[in-house]
Amino acid sequence: MTTTPSATGTPPARRVDGSMSLLVDMMANTLDEAYAERAALRSGEASSTDAPSRRPRQRGVVTVAAIVVLGVVTGAAVSQVRSRQEADTGLRGQLAAEVGDRTAESDALDGRAEALRQELSGLREQALGADAAGRAVAARLDELGLASATTPVRGPGVVVTLDDAAPDPERNPETVEDGRIRDTDVQDTVNALWGAGAEAISINGQRLTALTAKRSAGSAVLVDLLPLKPPYVLRAVGPPAQLELGFLDGPVGRRLFDDSNAYGLRLEVRRQDELTLPGAADPDLRAASPVPAAAS
Amino acid sequence: MIPALALVLGVVLGLVLEPTVPAALQPYLPIAVVAALDAVFGAVRAQLEGIFDDRVFVVSFVSNVVVAGLVVFLGDQLGVGGQLSTGVVVVLGIRIFSNAAAIRRRVFHA
Repeated sequence: MTTTPSATGTPPARRVDGSMSLLVDMMANTLDEAYAERAALRSGEASSTDAPSRRPRQRGVVTVAAIVVLGVVTGAAVSQVRSRQEADTGLRGQLAAEVGDRTAESDALDGRAEALRQELSGLREQALGADAAGRAVAARLDELGLASATTPVRGPGVVVTLDDAAPDPERNPETVEDGRIRDTDVQDTVNALWGAGAEAISINGQRLTALTAKRSAGSAVLVDLLPLKPPYVLRAVGPPAQLELGFLDGPVGRRLFDDSNAYGLRLEVRRQDELTLPGAADPDLRAASPVPAAAS
Repeated sequence: MIPALALVLGVVLGLVLEPTVPAALQPYLPIAVVAALDAVFGAVRAQLEGIFDDRVFVVSFVSNVVVAGLVVFLGDQLGVGGQLSTGVVVVLGIRIFSNAAAIRRRVFHA
């Protein structure tokens, strides 16, 4: 049964697998040799003297105890690994839930800020509408609000839609980047629209102010710090015909049109009679303060 | 029969009680289990071949666990703990498999 190589009868000839003796020994000699030795010893012992009867029972208890210990250690190791896995997934779930909570909280606060802004402008109109001086201030405020993009506006204009190229499996993956709208494309489009006479612009519902930053993080375009997903829908209020022609005929419009032919970028300009743009949040002016009337 | 019951009892105890293992010993638990399993399979095979001896079993059980733990501990100190644990698991795994094969031949004659 056992393939234990005999230690005594080794032939003098060198074994073919001699260089792997360690491996061969490991594979062939798997049973502890001590068992065989003890068995040989015992058979010799049994013939000479009677084996004591109590000692095997004691040893049996030790054997069972050793096996119980093995079981306990196995169970402990298993429960350890399990609790570690639970802790890992629990932590991830906790973080995901926290992100969700915070996002919902931020959305709720955004909605509340918008409601408060509307309430404020309503109250302001009420308070200032009482007399002529107040109405003059209100008119000035409206004008400033338009200029600073803090009041919602509506009017005719154009809708410019920019989108990444449709995923094309035949396209070389290295040129996929070419088919992506970059932050500079969005910046150029916004500037071209301002240049063509736009009076108010929003991107995907985000109103642009003089302080709005448009930049990229990885492949995402950020407007202020909010990441936007393509398609990028720019709504510009202004004379529609002048905006459309000015944009499409300008260098930016031509470049984007060429890119749309070459790389599959999607560009669409549509006139619209009625556009409504939300107001932007009041800018946080930290350093700037108005010049006193006396000095100006 | 009694050893099998003892093993089940031990596993249940370990799972239910969840004994707290000192953090320093945690990496050696799986190695200790594999080393002890090797001793147990050797013992079962010896039992079937009629040469089982409980003293040999207990001594090989304890020394297997201690030596495997020491080898991995030394590996940790040398910065190759992961590789040495792999080595220990491979070697003991081979022994477990060949002992299991011997047991299978004994029991099923196949």
